[in-house]
Amino acid sequence: MKEEIINLKNQALAQITEIDNLEDLKDLQITYLGRNGRLSKLIKKIKEVKGGDKKEIGIQINQTKKTLLELIASQKQKIKSKSNTEFDETVPGILPPVGNLHLVTKAIEEIAKTFKAIGFSQARYNEVEWDYFGFESLNFTKDHPARDDWETFFVDVPEDKKLGPMILTPHTSSGQVREMKRVGTPPIRMVNIAKCYRRQADVSHVPMFHQFEGLVVDKNISIVNLKGTLDYFAQNFFGESRKTRLRPYHFPFTEPSFEVDISCDVCEGSGCKLCKGGWLELGGAGMVHPNVLRNGGIDPKIYSGFAFGWGVERTYMMKEGLKIPDIRLLYSSNLQILKQF
Amino acid sequence: MDILIPDNWLRDHLKTTLNSKEIAKFLSLCGPSVEKITGTGKNLAYQIEITTNRVDSASVYGIAREASAILPRFGVKAHLVTLKTKSTQKLTKKVVYLKVNIDEKLCSRFTACLVKNVKIDTSPKWLSDRLILSGIRPLNNIVDISNYIMLELGQPVHMFDYQKIQGSEMKLRCAKKGETIQTLDGKIYELKESDIVIEDGGKKLIDLAGIMGGNASKIDEKTQDVLVFVQTYNPINIRKTSMRLGVRTLAATIFEKGPDSAGVEIAVRRALDLVVKIAKGKPESKILDIYASSKKKKSISTSLDFINKKLGVNLTPKEISQCLQSLGFNPVWHKTNLEVDIPSYRANDIEIEEDIVEEVARIFGYHALPSKIMEGEIPTSKQGINFDFEYNLKNTLKGFGGVEIYTLSLVPKSFVGNEALKLKNPLGLDSQYLRTSLKPSLRQAANENLTSGKFHLFEMANVYLPNKNNLPEEKLTLAGIFSDFSYREAKGILEALLLSINSKEKINLKAISDSKLYYYEFDVVSLEKSIHLKRFIAPKKFPSQIEDITVSFSEKPKVGEIIEKILKLDGQIEKVEFIDLYKNSYTFRISYRNENKTLTNKEVEKIREKILKRFYS
Repeated sequence: MKEEIINLKNQALAQITEIDNLEDLKDLQITYLGRNGRLSKLIKKIKEVKGGDKKEIGIQINQTKKTLLELIASQKQKIKSKSNTEFDETVPGILPPVGNLHLVTKAIEEIAKTFKAIGFSQARYNEVEWDYFGFESLNFTKDHPARDDWETFFVDVPEDKKLGPMILTPHTSSGQVREMKRVGTPPIRMVNIAKCYRRQADVSHVPMFHQFEGLVVDKNISIVNLKGTLDYFAQNFFGESRKTRLRPYHFPFTEPSFEVDISCDVCEGSGCKLCKGGWLELGGAGMVHPNVLRNGGIDPKIYSGFAFGWGVERTYMMKEGLKIPDIRLLYSSNLQILKQF
Repeated sequence: MDILIPDNWLRDHLKTTLNSKEIAKFLSLCGPSVEKITGTGKNLAYQIEITTNRVDSASVYGIAREASAILPRFGVKAHLVTLKTKSTQKLTKKVVYLKVNIDEKLCSRFTACLVKNVKIDTSPKWLSDRLILSGIRPLNNIVDISNYIMLELGQPVHMFDYQKIQGSEMKLRCAKKGETIQTLDGKIYELKESDIVIEDGGKKLIDLAGIMGGNASKIDEKTQDVLVFVQTYNPINIRKTSMRLGVRTLAATIFEKGPDSAGVEIAVRRALDLVVKIAKGKPESKILDIYASSKKKKSISTSLDFINKKLGVNLTPKEISQCLQSLGFNPVWHKTNLEVDIPSYRANDIEIEEDIVEEVARIFGYHALPSKIMEGEIPTSKQGINFDFEYNLKNTLKGFGGVEIYTLSLVPKSFVGNEALKLKNPLGLDSQYLRTSLKPSLRQAANENLTSGKFHLFEMANVYLPNKNNLPEEKLTLAGIFSDFSYREAKGILEALLLSINSKEKINLKAISDSKLYYYEFDVVSLEKSIHLKRFIAPKKFPSQIEDITVSFSEKPKVGEIIEKILKLDGQIEKVEFIDLYKNSYTFRISYRNENKTLTNKEVEKIREKILKRFYS
């Protein structure tokens, strides 16, 4: 009988440690320890044992029962923890707070960085400006439409005797003469990025927007250099395959003046619905007018220069291919919109 | 301004076999920009943008003239057809059929010719088709002829019903303040001194000159005799009147750009041709022509070196001459110096030698110029704004979950105090002032998002602080607003921001009353100044001892003040952190450290005693 118990115990121990799921373990527990289990049957046999052995066998069976129960419990634990360590990669992570920079900030950063690489330094000139820097020194005639109060915002303060009315600058070009006066003697390579204001609000206009103004003044600056700079910008900001072209245009502060186009990235120049014959309009540019150089204290007989001034928002949206139906959305306060860009 | 040029009309003046798509492309590259081609088959029209300086090209003939210079550069044959006329009438300063009195400051050239016995009818199909393609509605043959000549030559033409001009007298003068006129379209306008009007012998206003004809002298189906009328006016007066009254007729947009006075003669003659041909009228033998300043020929001096330096390539005098001649300019070389005679139709826009450079460059072709970044020294002088610092601040706040926003600098009166700049001409009352604080704008933005849960909005922008007799101070401000944050969470973000730039700037974070919002702001310049340079600190040799102490207070003290007090108690107290507050029990984590040795428990106990004594005695 004693031997029988030892055999049963060994058999059970071997089986229990091999089991790897809870159901089988339960079955095994019933097989050995259930009401009609193998150990229970042995217990029933105790009656047949004679004399002093009875007590000894009783203790042996009880110990066996205890050992088996302990082993089953620990095996149960093992199985459970094993299923826990099986890694679930589909569980969603816990996000840190996710913030966002405004599209205009990103655009300004990229534009400044692109020009910095070819020696341009970033500047930011006044938003509230005198007419002199915004118009007069830039060779605008007195009756130029941009000086009308239906196009430019005027501040309600007395005019300055020399510098004229106070305005909200309608373009970053007002930084041209300021930069020339600041630097004194060329060379100048500046990119002025600032807020501008125009008296208009519709799907494609906001009264407040941003421009970047490139200004280069040095000896022997030519149209060829302007083309080189624009191509550099197109390739580095928009992509290597992009090209620019100049078309004649008219601005008071440049002569000659150009409209700058960039090759369309959708059709790659062959013409499509999004562009005009393979080209998209980027903005204006030109060779600095000699009167503007003079107003900046620079001798146009010695120095020449070029300038270009484009909308930050428009340029960046063209790069990203963002089709925002209404440009005013850029200046929305709605978080759902803000977080998209 | 955009104009529509019908293709078949253009080809009357421009002999070329080139297709319209190529014409559009080449024109855009070297001259006026063709925005698109409208229509189909034989009814094509070019939509062309005319820049303000090039009113000479704002017509079918003007575009033909440009094209005849541009197309040959692309190896295409193109020839400008000379304008013809059957009219041989003499130009005289006086005519019997019209007595005039003209203010020459207002009108640089005045021509008129009477045509009797016209038959008012609808126009022939070819004429009305061309008007429709050009975007103008045909009315009757006389009115249509005036529009036709304007479109063809860029010289506005007016037709009066001669019988309605009382006394056959005209006085061209400035309007008197408060005078009114009823124009062709039946509208009545109140006038100002800068408006130009024509008054007849009966003191009746019959024309709002350069803008629109008067109703009193309008052509109608009963008209028998017409006065063909072609002028050029002072462009500034025309613009003022047109903009003020909001009457933007094609005539006004041409007149305000100063069309060529010399071009008036061919316009009046071709108009007479058509009135004779189509309306079967009988013209008088003399044309009234009052032309004060038949301008001297304009010429500009420049040099080979100047042109080539600006272009960045070396063209020969011959190449330069070819470009200029194709445009009707007359270049004469004296060795390497160049004298260029300017045709009358370009006299207004060619002023300086840079203008000559432009004409040469665009006809030679910008596309034909090479592309090369300038050489030369890179400037060292900078404006002095630390843009990297600004970007870094924004980027750090973004990293802590902040969402950047740009709000409008222009705000309503309720957003500013008494000291703020006001606009003379705001778009509306909600954008009338220049803001002096970002707070109201950010608060408004936060209120728009109150259903979005927890958020942190921030903005870096100027506020505008008025300076007497000077431009305002534009003060760059970093401000933000927290919604649904605890005060400690919000403050922690700002403390972390300052930690990241090593600044000890004071944090100004305040609750906004009646809301769950906290607002803060920093002056970016003083923030930049507050940065301490980082110095290397060697790692400590001996460990610190750390323990939590809970202190109870009967009244509510300020946590910041307690921390300050504890730190002052002993030089060996290295750090005091606030851990928790439960009812009136404050728990602090204290780090003890001695630079030169490891503190024993006994030594720590002594310091602890100081703390406990300080608060329990």
